[in-house]
Amino acid sequence: MSEDGLHNTLKVQRAMRNLTQADLAAQAGVTRKSVNGIETGRMVPSVILALKLARALGVTVDTIFTLEGADHRPAPAD
Amino acid sequence: MTEPTEDRSELYLRFSRRGMAFLLIIIMALGATALVMALQPGGAFSRMLEKASWFFPIATVLGFGALQTSLGKNRWNPNAPEVKAILSDEWRRTNLDRAMKVAFIVILVTQLPLGWLFGVMLAQLSVLRAVLAMAVSTVTLGMTIFVATFLYLDRDQG
Repeated sequence: MSEDGLHNTLKVQRAMRNLTQADLAAQAGVTRKSVNGIETGRMVPSVILALKLARALGVTVDTIFTLEGADHRPAPAD
Repeated sequence: MTEPTEDRSELYLRFSRRGMAFLLIIIMALGATALVMALQPGGAFSRMLEKASWFFPIATVLGFGALQTSLGKNRWNPNAPEVKAILSDEWRRTNLDRAMKVAFIVILVTQLPLGWLFGVMLAQLSVLRAVLAMAVSTVTLGMTIFVATFLYLDRDQG
């Protein structure tokens, strides 16, 4: 988990698809180091990168990234 | 036969890191030379450096040539997808920002010791030489810390 309380399942999602960090990085248009940084919790990705990773894995962003202790119900509309 | 994208990507990553390491060596060598010449303009070492001033451009070109050969048949093409990925990579940008912050803080913190060193300890220096030495050491230190910190943060970790 990152210092910001962001929990991610990127490593699990990637392993489920038998992808290496380099494979996923190539699909998302970043380097292997970015994928590694996110998986080890040393980097919090931008929204754009999170969306690219989600698209590369064929899942939604909140399948990969969750905020620790966050309530997952959608916020009430005003 | 075409190399797999993964291998080329790793090749460009290593090239990029080697390039930064080479830049670090150039910065340190030039900074040390400039500092020696500022502190002892007529000294034996300064005279030797002046005589060998042709060495730096040749060494830089040779080093750059050696770097290029490490790429093999590939070339650093900014339009190649692997190079684009490296240049716009978030992890590297984050590390560049972090390295810049570290270098800035180090420069700020070392101003007083450097001022004391060049102003008090080396009091025999003329004002111009002391200011020049302080400027050279500040720039060299800042750039060295920036590149070295980036290389440290950008290293492979498990």
